[in-house]
Amino acid sequence: MQEPYAIEMLHITKRFPGIIANDDVTIQLRKGEIHALLGENGAGKSTLMSVLFGLYQAEEGEIRKDGKTVHINNPNDANELGIGMVHQHFKLVQCFSVLDNIILGAETVKNGFLQKDEARKKVLALSEKYGLQIDPDAKISDITVGMQQRTEILKMLYRDNEILIFDEPTAVLTPQEIEELMQIMKNLIAEGKSILFISHKLNEIMEVADRVSVLRKGKYIGTVNVADVDEAELSRMMVGRDVQLKVDKKDATPGDVILEVNGLTLASKEHKKNAVNNVSFNVRAGEIVCIAGIDGNGQTELVYSLTGLENPTSGSVKVCGRDITHESIRKRADLVAHIPEDRHKHGLVLDYPLEYNMILQRYYEPEFTSAAGFLKRKEIREYSDRLIQEYDVRSGQGSITITRAMSGGNQQKAIIAREIDRGLKFLIAVQPTRGLDVGAIENIHAQLVAERDKGCAILLVSLELSEVMNVSDRILVMYEGEIVGELDPKKTTTEELGLYMAGAKRDPQFQKGRG
Amino acid sequence: MNENKGFFGKPGVQTIMASLICIVIGLFFGFLVLLLIHPQGAWDSIVTIILNFITRSSGPAKIKALGNTLVKTSPLLMCALSVCFCYKVGLFNIGAAGQYEAGAGIALFAALGWGLPWWVCLILAALAGALLGCISGALKAYRNVNEVISGIMLNWITLYLVNMILTKVKDPASPYTMPLQATNPKAVIPGVGLPAFFANNRYVTLAIPLAVIIAVAIWVVLNKTVFGYELRATGFNKEAARYAGMAEKKNIIVTLAIGGALAGIGAAFLFLTGYQQWTTTQTSVPGMGFNGIAATFLGGLNPIGTIFSSFFIQQITDGGALIDKAIYPSQISDLISALIVYLCGFTMFFRLIIANKLARKGGNK
Amino acid sequence: MLLLIQYTLMFASVLSLVALGGCYSEHSGVINLGLEGIMVMGALGGAMAMQFLGKAPVIVTIFVVMLAAVIVGMIYSCLLGFASIQFNADQTLVGTAMNMLATAAATIIARSFNTMKDPNNVSNTLQYIKQKRAFLVYFGRFEFNWFMVVAVIMLVVGYIVLYKTRFGLRLMACGENPQAADAVSINVYKMRWAGVLISGFLGGLGGIVYITAGVSEWKFEVGVAGFGFLALAVMIFGNLDSKVYNMMPYIISLIVLAFTSKNSAAPKAEGIPYDKSTR
Repeated sequence: MQEPYAIEMLHITKRFPGIIANDDVTIQLRKGEIHALLGENGAGKSTLMSVLFGLYQAEEGEIRKDGKTVHINNPNDANELGIGMVHQHFKLVQCFSVLDNIILGAETVKNGFLQKDEARKKVLALSEKYGLQIDPDAKISDITVGMQQRTEILKMLYRDNEILIFDEPTAVLTPQEIEELMQIMKNLIAEGKSILFISHKLNEIMEVADRVSVLRKGKYIGTVNVADVDEAELSRMMVGRDVQLKVDKKDATPGDVILEVNGLTLASKEHKKNAVNNVSFNVRAGEIVCIAGIDGNGQTELVYSLTGLENPTSGSVKVCGRDITHESIRKRADLVAHIPEDRHKHGLVLDYPLEYNMILQRYYEPEFTSAAGFLKRKEIREYSDRLIQEYDVRSGQGSITITRAMSGGNQQKAIIAREIDRGLKFLIAVQPTRGLDVGAIENIHAQLVAERDKGCAILLVSLELSEVMNVSDRILVMYEGEIVGELDPKKTTTEELGLYMAGAKRDPQFQKGRG
Repeated sequence: MNENKGFFGKPGVQTIMASLICIVIGLFFGFLVLLLIHPQGAWDSIVTIILNFITRSSGPAKIKALGNTLVKTSPLLMCALSVCFCYKVGLFNIGAAGQYEAGAGIALFAALGWGLPWWVCLILAALAGALLGCISGALKAYRNVNEVISGIMLNWITLYLVNMILTKVKDPASPYTMPLQATNPKAVIPGVGLPAFFANNRYVTLAIPLAVIIAVAIWVVLNKTVFGYELRATGFNKEAARYAGMAEKKNIIVTLAIGGALAGIGAAFLFLTGYQQWTTTQTSVPGMGFNGIAATFLGGLNPIGTIFSSFFIQQITDGGALIDKAIYPSQISDLISALIVYLCGFTMFFRLIIANKLARKGGNK
Repeated sequence: MLLLIQYTLMFASVLSLVALGGCYSEHSGVINLGLEGIMVMGALGGAMAMQFLGKAPVIVTIFVVMLAAVIVGMIYSCLLGFASIQFNADQTLVGTAMNMLATAAATIIARSFNTMKDPNNVSNTLQYIKQKRAFLVYFGRFEFNWFMVVAVIMLVVGYIVLYKTRFGLRLMACGENPQAADAVSINVYKMRWAGVLISGFLGGLGGIVYITAGVSEWKFEVGVAGFGFLALAVMIFGNLDSKVYNMMPYIISLIVLAFTSKNSAAPKAEGIPYDKSTR
């Protein structure tokens, strides 16, 4: 007797030039369940969901709805079958209102003219029914990430979707908002919806999902009942080996103050408030200080002010005793190493060969440039070859590989090699493991700890709670451009950290407006 | 990725193939238009356009005509280099036409009005072009004005400004500027013995080899120097260039200034030979800058390739002037050039076709 | 003075029509630098229609001439759509090529057209003195042109369509975030085609208004730039040196741009070819 499946994806194979993203993958979603899809970055989860949503077409396999074979050639087909998706990167038009975004593509019209009143009623009713707080007339660019996500959920509900896909929905939320989302998901199930929940976070899956299917490197590993397994077992299924959940490191032995930030303030480009407001802190040699916080609370701007990408409005930045507040990026290059947040935007010239990227921070030094202004080909090649060797950067043709053709993990390794090899006393690492698989993450964490043990002062900016808790020696929490608390990762809990991140708690030591 | 793709697998060869496809399609359309206008002479005319100087009657006449084409190729090449250089830094220098006008204006005024020697006129022309480039660059760097828009505006402003200035040194009886050779022989770029090779075409001067040398120099600067490394990094990824401490705003201005200087020199290369006079009543921006865009893209955005593409564009432009004007309009060459520029937008697509063909061939083996 | 107002109104009509065309294309995510070329072709289509018509009734003349200009403008804008939407070509390059191509092609076509009617006529100037009268209505000495009405209607309709209809909402979504539009089953390619074709429609219309404003013949060698502003400047400044005033519109535009572009918010995805595989 076949069980009543809401949707089945049977033996799906999807190939891209050079890789098989999904290799004979089968998942079956029961009606009214929360089914988690677990896998590392690059395991093929998003590809599989894109196939289901009609964004890609699979080469092999079939999709069944209520036991009947269906063909999904575009999002429209998916929509007609009642499949909706909250994408990892929200698909919202920034300059439109919440309401316009919800109705886009499913507008009510009379003679071609938009009839927004009816739509507004329906949206407000839905928002009430499921506890999804929104302001229909607010512009997307003005609202919080949490509200943007609720807009995305309402988009699905507005279209009366029955099967809801959530692609890594918690990556951008605070622990409290995650709680809230979990509740919303449970409400949705209670109303008869079925949910596919894509994640690589074990604790969330344990909390909310009924069953979980695991993917590894494009292959289907298996489906289990959440009640029958524990986190360790799931992580073994996901990674294929035992995973060191804790980073192996000794206690820090902080030395001299390397970075000294005093009353740093940077006006925001988006709103009237300061993006960074009167921030003061130190980082000592031989310690990793982590800036924790929800995305968009001034971390990026803080880093820009420290690295010279933005010019602070007031306050001062000293590194090794030298005031660099208003020095150009080039001038402070002898003090600050910087692993940037976005490796494609800032970190690499993707169309340059790898060797040119390896010297990106040092190309003008006499080692690589002759007195007449010509590049020293041989020296550049040798230097690049050495870094590739030492830091195990893998690429098709070594130094001459066009960087664009390399995998994300190896691109990141190249950046880290370049920055660490400069041998500076101060390193800023912004989300250094974003989008990488467990092996690469372990490797990068080990390197940061090794640099710390050599006496480097490291400022780590991270959105991943596990990274914040495991890698850092001290945690500074940022909320709305200010530092609101300093925590010891050994003594605090995720819950406490979450309260600070959400702005619900504030250390009296960090008074509003004070340093 | 296939490692061994042989001769046709090389990116350079594919670029050349793509350019040749553009040329063939462009010429084919030109031929179609000729056919539509008057079928009888169409084939002869398209052949004339392509062969240009080779259609002349005698040996010396051919050589002399070739000389004339080369005289006009050198300014075109300079304009193309200007566009090409800026494009490598991610800037579309449509203002090359205006920078060319500025160079012409100053070079001619310095030569005719002030009686200065050719090399001073040349330097002044470069500076004038550079100044104009700087304006576009500064507007882009500090005021976020798109260089295409400011370039178009400056093309017109400069046109009328130059008309105004050169009216002071114009021939009283005509709208043309005074003849250079007669007014100030010192201002004519020296021939250094070159005319002898071109059936005593006295317009063939040092300008031609200089233009080729500059093209090679531009290639070296872009590919072998730290300056080129910075500029190309800026062109590929502005943000990464800033992250690495490169002065992005300075680079934008410097790039457009150099582009401007190149176009300015181009104008001097033409007007300081005495081959042509400036028409002080002209109301349209000279086509040299726009043809420069054609040559740039046809040359595969490579300074060396630009040498050949510039010659080709000038070849068909001159060829177009030889066809029977009683039957065919002389704009037919402009039409072909414009078509080629348009088709250059498809270069990536053509290269993809070539690559796919290769892949299929490889698969059959 | 009356003439001055009349000319100002005419050129304001042209500018608003063409600018509206650019606006539609831009909102769909395609920069239309080829508008000048589209104007030339639209003008050519309209001028040829006027020559064909000879002495047709007023209503027919107005209708047919506008239709011709609009259709030719739209056909010509396909060059932009084809290259930049279907083949991801560099939009700046294609726009520039279209402007170059339009002048050359219009010259050749106008000349061939003349030669066809009279083998000895090799000029590329088209005359339409008589036909042009169809567009004119006189209020006393004030020459009123039907195109002004058309321009005003177009502006109002253009605004409503963009901000009040489903089509407008979807069009703007494609220019701002094509991935978001695609995810809700909007065909980004189709919408961009629509944007480009509408800009061809309005550009073509702008072209015919432009060449019928003030003059009764057009020399296609000169394209459309420069001349109109000259006429206006001469009107304003009487018999002063025209060269300075030729420059004025460009200088003024440049200064205005310098002060307004700093924080200008163009559609986010403008100029970026939409590629389905980059989500």
